[in-house]
Amino acid sequence: MAESVCRTLRDGGLEGEHAPALTIKDSIASPFGFDVFCHVLTQLSSFILAGKSQSRGLVLVAFCRSPSFYADLLKSKGIDVNSSNKCRVRILDCYTDPLGWKFRLMGVGNLRDLSCEASSTGILCKDVKDTNKLYSSIIELGKGLVAEAKSRFSVAIDSVDQMLRHASMSSVAGLFSNLRSHGQVSNVFWLLHSDLHEVRVTASLEYMSSMVASVEPLQQLTNGQRDDSDKASLTEQNLKKGKFHVRFKRRNGRVRVMLEEFHIEQSGISFKSASSEEVTNQGLLPKVQFSLQLSEKEQIDRSNVVLPFEHQGNGKPIQIYDGRNSLMEGKHETTSVSAGNSETNEGSGGGEIIYYRDSDDEMPDSDEDPDDDLDI
Amino acid sequence: MKKLELGFQWASSKPKLLLHRSSITTLRRYQLTAHGNCGKRKSAENWVRRSSRRNTNSSANSTRLNSELRSKQTCPKDYQTGVSLLFLLAAMAATKTRGSSFSRAVSAATPSLAPGLKCGPNGTVFLSSGIPDLDKILGGGFTLGSLVMVMEDSEAPHHMLLLRNFMSQGLIHNQPLLYASPSKDPKGFLGTLPSPASSKDDKPRDRDTDQEKGLRIAWQYKKYFGENNPNFTGHRDDKHEYCNDFDLRKPLERQFLIRQHVDCVSLQDSMNLSVLLDHCGTFLSQFPRNDNNSSITTAGRIAIQSFCAPDCGYSNMEWHMLSFIRSLKSVMRSSNAVAVLTFPPSLLSPSFCKRWQHMADTLLSVKAIPDEDRELAQLLTGYQDMVGLLNVHKIARINTQAPMILEATTFSIKLQKRRYLVLECLNQAPIDGSSGASYGTSGSCSASSKTGRLDF
Repeated sequence: MAESVCRTLRDGGLEGEHAPALTIKDSIASPFGFDVFCHVLTQLSSFILAGKSQSRGLVLVAFCRSPSFYADLLKSKGIDVNSSNKCRVRILDCYTDPLGWKFRLMGVGNLRDLSCEASSTGILCKDVKDTNKLYSSIIELGKGLVAEAKSRFSVAIDSVDQMLRHASMSSVAGLFSNLRSHGQVSNVFWLLHSDLHEVRVTASLEYMSSMVASVEPLQQLTNGQRDDSDKASLTEQNLKKGKFHVRFKRRNGRVRVMLEEFHIEQSGISFKSASSEEVTNQGLLPKVQFSLQLSEKEQIDRSNVVLPFEHQGNGKPIQIYDGRNSLMEGKHETTSVSAGNSETNEGSGGGEIIYYRDSDDEMPDSDEDPDDDLDI
Repeated sequence: MKKLELGFQWASSKPKLLLHRSSITTLRRYQLTAHGNCGKRKSAENWVRRSSRRNTNSSANSTRLNSELRSKQTCPKDYQTGVSLLFLLAAMAATKTRGSSFSRAVSAATPSLAPGLKCGPNGTVFLSSGIPDLDKILGGGFTLGSLVMVMEDSEAPHHMLLLRNFMSQGLIHNQPLLYASPSKDPKGFLGTLPSPASSKDDKPRDRDTDQEKGLRIAWQYKKYFGENNPNFTGHRDDKHEYCNDFDLRKPLERQFLIRQHVDCVSLQDSMNLSVLLDHCGTFLSQFPRNDNNSSITTAGRIAIQSFCAPDCGYSNMEWHMLSFIRSLKSVMRSSNAVAVLTFPPSLLSPSFCKRWQHMADTLLSVKAIPDEDRELAQLLTGYQDMVGLLNVHKIARINTQAPMILEATTFSIKLQKRRYLVLECLNQAPIDGSSGASYGTSGSCSASSKTGRLDF
């Protein structure tokens, strides 16, 4: 849910832990990732201004929109960027002159100085290829934003696609992991268009983030399945609504999956809880067995059962379990003695039994006392 | 005098010995088949010794047999074993009541091992993984000289639990450790290593599964036990247990970290894997493996975390990484050490993922489980305590061709009392009979769309 996403970002990270990171990804089937990004941005900024969040400021790295766009966006939500006192948002401008061409041309020709526009809200970045420099600019901006050394700030990166155009995946990944492990960064979030990259790139970014929010169409269009009129209506539907699917990596190692629907309106994007189908988790368990183990209580109970013919010569009356539940009654069951050389039983008293051998082929009685087997 | 009818039957390449009924049962146990096994040679020798002690033998034949059996350095061919047995049986038939000339060899052949190492079958030596349940599952522990690979799940940090226990166990046993990780400061991770649970805390489980508490029903036979095998006087008195229970909430005492210098390497800076390989090579040269295997003084441990993490410079050079793993494995074979390498398979292309899996001697994988999944909670017992799943794909079998087939390959990872790592078999929860659902529709046997993932 968008609410819980924003709340997680607002709460930030614990001491000594990597900062939570959110990846927002979309595709051409439902291209509303930027709307979601703006939504999260405005939510977080309002939390920051209200003082409810762990971070005290926000650094926005703008690649695909100009800083003035963001200033207007935030102003429309009631957050004033340009006021110097309570300004909580700084923008690192990588949109105006990312590779420094205009800067170099300025020296040669007679282009106007462009840096005046950016000075109030942030720094102009002239070389996005150098991720180390980018990292240090972000940190510098952030530290300038939050005066104390222990306060934290958030980082929002407009579009990772633009970054990946200029720098390699490993350097971008290094930048992100450094940001996450910096002590003063409270949370990081970025936007990615998944169909612009190889699967591996998307997988790496998901690997590095603790929340993955994907914007998906309500119903997938499959080629050749429907005729044109259906397809048109489906596309139209996909342009107004979609599914918002979030995977949270929780601290205990479990994954929480949530699903919501969103609508695009004039004022922005609105979320509501999912109507129909449940979230289908990916396949998991191979073999599940029946439990053949005993719990501790069961083991104790088992060891308490008196087994037949067990050595019980402790002075207590000898009990032989005969299948009935009369164990505990302490009746004197007569012990049965093997046939052949029978002698008088305890209980029967009085009689005598005299026997004759059946044949002489039988083995003579051994010297062993047959009573040795008895438990006396 | 018993008559033994002997005969040989040559059918294709499988010679069989035809014996009198009484001897067949003993022979059957040792199953001499056409493709003899080095491991079986020992058992054949033992059989020979035991049966001859019962049935006695002439001294001349026995010594010849003895020397024949002993002189075989390689796996004997089947007919040779058959022929030796033939001689033996002929000898058995010939003579009777004489003193046995086979004497039980005192097992002086076991090498003297440092604490923390254990002898295994087929001449292998084990070292502990740090998790008692995992040692039991793997049949003793990690084999010295093997490469253990753990496939991470990018959604859960369970591989760190395995690594932490592995590294702590090494430090407790004073085994040198090399740790490589993609973070800039790997030493920071050492602060999170757990400490063994002290004896005053209750251990997670009573490890004493005393099966032979003494005979309960057949108590009469106790008087026949003369010298009993000393196996039951466990090794619990030893100060160094082979495997400790680690309390994940207590950090390892500093004395262990200082006593043994832990070599930490950061993978982030290394663009070139050959530097890392040389580093591993110099580390492993401290524990060379000799052929006679007489005594092993120290064993080493290498822990490489998240080998193909995206922030490492070499992470898109897939062939280089593969050749690194290959070279590492070959260096491991000639040293007394165990290497544990974890990697997230989702970051590799599928063909390389398969290649890497084939490289491993022991292959484990960890998986995350979804949170608050009602279906899973109904299906499994103990779902609330589970944090993840561990799958055992492959177990190292060095010096033998017989594979180890486990009853169950998926285990649940639980943290007992939030401290002790425990692996349990997955058990199905009892199906709620009171719900009135018929057997066909309840629980896992139902034909819902979700059951594709279950496998009976």
